[in-house]
Amino acid sequence: MRPLDPRLVARIGPARRYVLITAGLGLATACAIALQALVISRALAPVLAPSPLTEDGLGWLGTLVPVGARELATALGWLAAIVAVRVVLVWVQERLAHRAGVAVVADLRRRVVEHAARLGPRWAASGEGTAVTTTATRGLDGLLPYFVRYLPQLLLACTVTPLMLLLVLDLDWISAAIIAATVPLVPLFMVLIGLLTRDRSARHLAAMERLAARTLDLITGLPTLKALGRERGPASRIRDLGDAQRRATMGSLRIAFLSGMVLELLTTLAVALVAVTLGFRLVYGEVSIETALAVLVLAPEIYLPVRNVGTHFHASADGLAAADAAFEVLETPLIASGGDRPAPSLAGATLSVEGLTVLTPDGRRRAPDTLSFDAAPGRITALVGPNGDGKTTALLALMGLLDADAGQIHARSAEGTTALVDVDAESWSTQFAWVPQRPDLGVEGRTMSLGERERAALARALDADRPVLVLDEPTAHLDQASRAAVVAQITGAAAAGSTVIVATHEPELVAAADAVVAVEGAREVAS
Amino acid sequence: MRPLWRALADAQVPRGRAALGVLTGTAALGSAVGLAAVAAWLIARAAGMPSPADLAIAAVVVRFFGIGRGLFRYLERLASHDTALRGVVSLRVRVYERLAAAPAARVLPLSRGQIMARLGADIDAVGDAVVRGLIPAAVAVLVSGIAVAIAAALVPVAGLVLAACLLIAGVGAAALTLRSARAAATLGVRAEAEVTERALAAIESAPEHRVWGTSAQALAELDEAESESARAHEATARPAALAAAVQALAAGAALVGSIAIAVTHAQDGLIGPTTAAVVALLPLAAFEAVGAVPAATLQVFRSAEAARRIEELAPVGPAHAQDRSGDPTPAAVRIEARGLRVAWPGVAPTRPVSFTVDPGEVVAVVGPSGIGKTTLLATIAGALEPAAGQALIDGRPSLEADLGTIVAITAEDAHLFGTTVLENLRVARGDVSPEEALDALAGVGLAPWVEALPEGLDTVIGSGGGTVSGGERRRLLLARALLAPQPAALIDEPGEHLDADGRQALRAALAGLRTQGRSVVIVTHDLALLDAADRTVTLDD
Repeated sequence: MRPLDPRLVARIGPARRYVLITAGLGLATACAIALQALVISRALAPVLAPSPLTEDGLGWLGTLVPVGARELATALGWLAAIVAVRVVLVWVQERLAHRAGVAVVADLRRRVVEHAARLGPRWAASGEGTAVTTTATRGLDGLLPYFVRYLPQLLLACTVTPLMLLLVLDLDWISAAIIAATVPLVPLFMVLIGLLTRDRSARHLAAMERLAARTLDLITGLPTLKALGRERGPASRIRDLGDAQRRATMGSLRIAFLSGMVLELLTTLAVALVAVTLGFRLVYGEVSIETALAVLVLAPEIYLPVRNVGTHFHASADGLAAADAAFEVLETPLIASGGDRPAPSLAGATLSVEGLTVLTPDGRRRAPDTLSFDAAPGRITALVGPNGDGKTTALLALMGLLDADAGQIHARSAEGTTALVDVDAESWSTQFAWVPQRPDLGVEGRTMSLGERERAALARALDADRPVLVLDEPTAHLDQASRAAVVAQITGAAAAGSTVIVATHEPELVAAADAVVAVEGAREVAS
Repeated sequence: MRPLWRALADAQVPRGRAALGVLTGTAALGSAVGLAAVAAWLIARAAGMPSPADLAIAAVVVRFFGIGRGLFRYLERLASHDTALRGVVSLRVRVYERLAAAPAARVLPLSRGQIMARLGADIDAVGDAVVRGLIPAAVAVLVSGIAVAIAAALVPVAGLVLAACLLIAGVGAAALTLRSARAAATLGVRAEAEVTERALAAIESAPEHRVWGTSAQALAELDEAESESARAHEATARPAALAAAVQALAAGAALVGSIAIAVTHAQDGLIGPTTAAVVALLPLAAFEAVGAVPAATLQVFRSAEAARRIEELAPVGPAHAQDRSGDPTPAAVRIEARGLRVAWPGVAPTRPVSFTVDPGEVVAVVGPSGIGKTTLLATIAGALEPAAGQALIDGRPSLEADLGTIVAITAEDAHLFGTTVLENLRVARGDVSPEEALDALAGVGLAPWVEALPEGLDTVIGSGGGTVSGGERRRLLLARALLAPQPAALIDEPGEHLDADGRQALRAALAGLRTQGRSVVIVTHDLALLDAADRTVTLDD
């Protein structure tokens, strides 16, 4: 994880405005705080000074807050105004901050979805595809703190901290020197601690994750144990694993919290040192009370942005991991397939499949394995066979949605024979009217049951007037009466001249088919 | 909130350690308050130009507080995390025990994801209530109390002003944050789920969208869900922004009020310069602790939601009566279905079936997916009440207590544990010997497989171990069924991944169960297996 991921920064786009607004508001708040420190020192100096104040203890900065603020009424007026401004700044900042992230995350997710959709069904079904898309869609919301909190704080640490240091330098160079010497120590020590403890914390983390995984593994087996009457045993094992996990976690936390401790220690101790030094210099009259008060109030504010950067970076860790997954999807190259000739009309053409073989995503099986058949117009061709042997995959390949590992697909008509690989895939695919197993009919389909969705998808296919009708288990979720109706509709479509290809287990549908093709898978023989 | 308190009570969070967390946390933020107060005193005292020796003690105290903040914060984080982790471990065991004792009808259909979410993330979230919610809230109360006490001891009215402002900053912010959290829990969660669903649908149904030319429409629907989610973010940001503003306003008011009181009292000669400095500057450090209240409120709210979900899954209550100590387990049983119709609650029942399975017999149940084959097995095992008709074991209705004693179910998605091959087989019976294990593996055609493993039976498989293919997984589960001691075996066989070898292994396993004299019911899609059964029952109408 880098403090600033250029790939993310490059994608800020429209949200840049909000990141800048948030940082700008933070800067304004810092200015208000600085001004407030000056007013407080003006207001308190007269009552703390042993003799009436003659000089202006605020030097050049004194021009910002007039000496008249030594009068209580004036000072309170100033303070009330500053508080009012700070309240408004905080409100606006919290009101708008989330906008910095929401748009970027939405945009990134859209790109991932668009790209993943174009990577095709084989990639999506592979283990990698599922895992990556899940993180990239579900996990991206974890990126919000990065844009909403971390980036603005990083900008503030780069602006507010030096700015405040300049103010202190103008007031009292010795205090400024103490602070200037300690600020760089913060990142230095954190990096050092990080490096020194890296191995140990990685070991603890690994142990912790292993134990957590084993606990979850044991727990998720509960239904299996219940089914065998063995569910009572693991409770004590879960406690032992849990205790071991707790010890590993505490070991890793003891190290992880060290850097936080150093951060707090350095910053608070530096403030204490500034206070003590000022005290002794006051005794010898080396510094005025007005100056001392202003520096004392400003000192902790210099460290604040630096501390916040650390906190918010940790809060963004999950999101950054999701962002990595998202970029992995975006960087997966699209495989160009097919030619650029438009496909011929498939109306009246016989679709011919020869030796079609597709490897499963894990590469262990061929499903289907060397499948060959012809689907003629006006006829129903039924693909049958056990689940997992490649009926759906064969249909996808036939429609040009998935590249086969071996075998050819042709369209044969009076005009001649055309191979699928030679034509533009889209002009081929869009001639099919397809009813998939789980149709996605968009928002209106959401309230329907699976059976209703299937019927609606079938209606869409029959009304589409496309030359080839492809049906994947069209009767799986229907009752007896609807099944008969669907079979009648399919036979009707074939009688009207459509090429019908159907994957099914349904005996009635198989009986209605003009040709029945058995689809078989096989174990992939390692070569 | 109540489920959270019940969960925390259930977790037996160690009180001593929790108190230590609160104490060190108070010491950490109290150090910040102390640093501000003593530093103010030091500067004010120094302005009077005393002898440097008069400042010596104050200088030491300031440095102590300077170190104390970091040090105590470190100790607090360790103490509170340790407290929470102990609670999480106990709670996980408690919830597991309750779930293990729950009726089988509730446990059997649980998905891995469901269990993982409730017993994993949700229980961790209950622990987070301690670390990020309750301890910071208690620290806020104590540190505020300390700051108010210091101010009140010096100038009572200043204490009053500080107390009022701290109260507004704490309680007001908590109330507004709660409103924001509720909006996020209703609108936000729904919008987020919708975004995920649209995103995954656009990816998974991409081929369908390509064929029908609806890709743009699917993306437009995702965009619509995203704008809904953005609106939810707006709705949650509104009260959250108000909470932040209320805190800033209260802190500012305390500062203005304290300075006014300090200066007027000092001008009237009621207090000296050192007291005035402390009273005036105390509010600058006093509000850090209440600043944690919004985040703490949010955490308690989230943890309470998690506790509610855990309770839904495994309610606290009298242990489920499960008497297995009664009759001795028979060596062989007869299973019978009489006009049996089955259904999970709220689902249309299957058509009635009747059959008998005598010891040494195999009955196959066939029918397309989703028709209720698995439900039928759960009903025969006594985990589920029949919707109509009777499920009988040796002539009497099957009982919940029969599952695990007389009947063993091998589910289609049964779990392979992340342990050795042998331990995975011992899931069926604790005293399986290596020889018995090898016999059973040979019985399902896995003898060459186990011989090829680097450490044979002691090879770790499953999560965290070597991978097992789908076919090997099925056969391991069959070996487990062969080793189970129950006289009735109900096997739910997935239709997929059964190649010729797999079918042969299943036939061999069925033959093994037959010779053991067991009564076997097997659910299958694979019509090629029917000849291995004595009788076939179809659930299809």
